[in-house]
Amino acid sequence: MIYLELFISFALIGFTSFGGMSMIPLINDQMISHRWMTMQEVADIVAIAEMTPGPLGLNCATFAGHRTAGVLGALCATAGVLLPSLSVAIVAAAMLSRFRESRTLARALYGIRPVMIGMIAAIIVQQAMTNYVISGSVSPATVLIGAVSLVLLVHFKWSVPRTILVAAALGLALCRG
Amino acid sequence: MQSKQSGRLPDILKTFFKFGCFTFGGGWSIVAQIQKEYVEKKHWITDEQLLDYTSIARSIPGLMIGNASVLFGYQAAGVSGALAALLGITIPPFIIMIGVTFIYSVFRDNPMVASAMIGVRAAVVPIIISALLKLFRSGMKDGWCYLIAASAMALSLFTGLSNVLIVLIGAAAGLLITEVKTRHDLS
Repeated sequence: MIYLELFISFALIGFTSFGGMSMIPLINDQMISHRWMTMQEVADIVAIAEMTPGPLGLNCATFAGHRTAGVLGALCATAGVLLPSLSVAIVAAAMLSRFRESRTLARALYGIRPVMIGMIAAIIVQQAMTNYVISGSVSPATVLIGAVSLVLLVHFKWSVPRTILVAAALGLALCRG
Repeated sequence: MQSKQSGRLPDILKTFFKFGCFTFGGGWSIVAQIQKEYVEKKHWITDEQLLDYTSIARSIPGLMIGNASVLFGYQAAGVSGALAALLGITIPPFIIMIGVTFIYSVFRDNPMVASAMIGVRAAVVPIIISALLKLFRSGMKDGWCYLIAASAMALSLFTGLSNVLIVLIGAAAGLLITEVKTRHDLS
């Protein structure tokens, strides 16, 4: 039952991620291990989710669910990824002071945040091996586009959507699809 | 109080729907919009409350902005307020993404689109790197953190362990290390 699987998968992603980019390694893992998507499609998700309004995790869930099993699939994936907000966040809202001063939460996060960083570093390696290697050899054009994008983002503080547009134009000029 | 609270529901739904339509670049821009609308203009909550909501939203699992919306909505109008805020913020991106996925599926094999997508994919690694650089500042508190991060990276790259499991191991490591450190400080 694909709908239930999507719901459970994205609920797992939701409960073990802490917003934004920390979701990507978990989404990647679930998509690849279920054979729902290729590594390349995950890269497409990230780019597309960054280009459209709304939170990254939500956009990813909708996109992945829709690609895998249509509109109903998108609905199930979205419901799954929102499950923590519908459960933990509501409990937190009702017991605000308890959560604000929770030391257990802070201590778990002390370990979780570095894990997120390590997993994101791992996905950078995996994505680099997919996106800069075309039919078995390193593609200089894509490496160049990657380097330009990095400089635009980190040095010139360009926004992500603007950088993606430049990368798309460069791809159109330099790469053959 | 009850009638005042339920009177707020249409406002919450409408405003969060608007946030959902126009928000690029993740959670913080939505927090800024909540601040403008509900702290400065409508005075429903204070700056301190919003700060509390965002810091709690970041430290519980799930979408940071989904959590922040729920925390705000609950404070403003109870459970139905929480649901209204979450629905409002979710519906626009959902509809837009359904359209975008459809367009993607139709056009991705077009040669020009495929060329552009190769360029776009080449930008994804730098996008993740720049996000990682920002996380580095808040996440890496001491030497232990580097050890945990390196182990997580190795586990993720070289073993078949699922990332879900690696996060749980990280939580356990966090509890254990902080426990040992407090005991060490006490003795």
